[in-house]
Parts: sequence; C-alpha cells; structure tokens
Amino acid sequence: MPGLPLQLALYVATVLGAAAMVLLMPKPGPNLKPIGALLGAATLGGLWFVLCPLWRTGGDVADTGLDTAGLPFYYVFSFIGIAAAVRVITHHRPVYAALWFVMVILASAGLFLVLAAEFMALALVIIYGGAILVTYMFVIMLATQPQASDDPKDSPDFERFAREPLWATVAGFLLLAVLLTFVFDPAISRNDAAKAPTDAAIVGEEYDPRVPAIGLLTERATVGTLNEETGQVTRQPAPVSNGERIGLELFMANPLAIELAGVILLLSLVGAVVIAKTQFPEEESVASSQ
Amino acid sequence: MDLPTLTNLTLAHFLFTGAVLFVLGLIGFISRRNLIVMFLCTELMFQGVCVTLVAFSRYHLNYSGQTFVIFVLTIAAAEAALALGLVVLLFRRRDTLDALAWSDLKG
Repeated sequence: MPGLPLQLALYVATVLGAAAMVLLMPKPGPNLKPIGALLGAATLGGLWFVLCPLWRTGGDVADTGLDTAGLPFYYVFSFIGIAAAVRVITHHRPVYAALWFVMVILASAGLFLVLAAEFMALALVIIYGGAILVTYMFVIMLATQPQASDDPKDSPDFERFAREPLWATVAGFLLLAVLLTFVFDPAISRNDAAKAPTDAAIVGEEYDPRVPAIGLLTERATVGTLNEETGQVTRQPAPVSNGERIGLELFMANPLAIELAGVILLLSLVGAVVIAKTQFPEEESVASSQ
Repeated sequence: MDLPTLTNLTLAHFLFTGAVLFVLGLIGFISRRNLIVMFLCTELMFQGVCVTLVAFSRYHLNYSGQTFVIFVLTIAAAEAALALGLVVLLFRRRDTLDALAWSDLKG
C-alpha cells in the first residue's frame, strides 16, 4: 500500500505536535515550555522535510500554478504564522496574545501574496491588523486589571492555567489528523476534473464574458501598440489586475450578499451601541458577585 | 531535491497551514479562560479558513474564494464589535474576565 508511510508520518507528526502543544499550554507544575517549543519546531520542520517528499502523485502534482519562486516565502510565512498562533493561545497576558495575533495576520497576508491575491493581503492587514485588533486593544485596556510586572506569577489564575489543556489538545489534534488525512490523500489531490472547467475561464488577459462590451472597463483597459510601418494603432485588452477581478466578481456575482453585509454591519453597529448603553443596578452586581 | 512536492508549491501546503491555524484556534477557544483571548481564538479560526479559501481560489483560478474572504472579514468585524461590547458588559458585572465566573449559567 503506497500511501501507508505517508499516513504513518502524518499521524506521528500529529501526535508529536499534540505533545508539544500540551507541554506549551500554561498549567501548574514545572516550566516545560522550552521543551515544548523545541519539540513543536522540530515536528513542524520534520513534517515539512520528511513528509513532503513522501507525498508523490506520480509526478502529476496538483499544483497551484505557481512557479518555485514562492516556495521559500511559503515556508517562512507559514512557520511565522503557526509559531505566532501557538504563542497567541499560550501567552498568559492578553495584550501580548493580541500582538502575536497581529503577527499571524501579517504572516497570512504574506501567504496571500504568495498566492497572488494582493488585494486580499492588503485588505487583511488594513481591516484585521488595523481596525479589528485596535478594537481588541481598547477592550483589553478597558477590562484588564493592572499588573505589577510581566512575571506570570503576578497574573491572575485564570490567565496562568488553561482549562483542560490535555483534552482540548487531544480533541483539536484529532480533528487535525482527520483533516490532514484528506488534505494529503493523493487520490483527492489528483482531482483534475475539479480544476478543468474554470481553468481557461479566468487565466490570461481576456475579458470576462460577463462584462458588457461598452463601459468604463472596456474603454480603459486597452493598450495600443503602434505599428511603425503602417502607422496604425492596434488595440489589445490590457492586463486586468487582481483588484479589478475581485471587484467584478464581487459586484456582478454577489450583489445581494453585498447589501446583506451592509445590513449586518449596520445591525452590529446599532447592537454595539445598545450593549454599550446597557445599565444595570449597582446592588445587583454586588449580589451576583457573592 | 528533485522531488516534485518539495520544489513545487502545492495546494496541500496551504491547506496544511490553514488546517493548523484553525485547529490552534479551536484548542485556544476550548482551553483558554480569558474571554478576550477566547474571541481572539475565533479570529484565529477565521484566519485558517481565509488561507484555505484563497488557496482554493488560486487552485481553481476562480475569484469566488477571494470575494468570500471579504465577507468573512465583514462578519469578523461585526462579530468583534458585538462580542467585545458583551465582554465589557460581563466584565462590569463580575469584575473579572474569567469565563468560569459565569459557569453557573450552565444550570
């Protein structure tokens, strides 16, 4: 059975990663975090450099159409993202967890750039790293008691000790093992039938057939080349950028969803104002805290 | 090093990263006790899903995946505004961010 060493390596890596995660989780007892960090990094590196060559699809790789130039960037950004994500869920101070989450966002923005999705990368940095994380920072400032120092012993107990770290990790990595079984299944990865119908539709500098022949895009998106001998200018469609593609797809295929997203944002605005203005009698809070 | 998977970026690379980010967010959501960090972990799960969506978008050369990420960002923004407002409200009631302070809601 050719798939056996692959699946075996996957499961060994999953178990090792789970062990590293358990060691890294904040819990009472001796400080095992350096061992956990070392084990986790070794597992990730081992998985990438031992497992990947095992996964062969008979030379028929289900690639993303990218050249090899993006490969080192993928490994760098992916490692930064995963390491920062581990730090988000293991750090004992929420402020640092939020800052590590900014690192996760920057890393996945880098991954988007490798995937040639530059508009989404920029939107991710601006919306997530800018707007949403600033909201988190404000709430952390509003709702955290001051601490004497960065020492974990000064943090309250609910920051220092995770709730059931072992079982949470086991459940999470069980899910990861199932996911990776399907992600790395060669039979699924070789599914070219899924790739074929849309393959020719978007690639290249052709017009989207849904774009009307007259309009802003058609007039703007032509480049002329001058023929030196005849003096005639031949017009060709200009390359359409990633942002234009996304705009066309967004507003032509999902107009209703755009409106609904606007309604959701408005509702959450109203809801946030209502929640912020909610008053409760002071004596009730005293009674409930006893 | 002439093996195809080490020298080619494949779909599975990005699906792996997305799955790991999602699972780490899940573990954090289950095991952390700070309400703010729990919501941060849901955002981490969103990140994993976004990476997966953009990778599939690139694989199929279909831009629906990338536009869907825009809607994910919209929902994440709405969720952050509402959930953090609720967290501040809960903090004002009990003076702690510990999720276990509200365990009597289990009934």
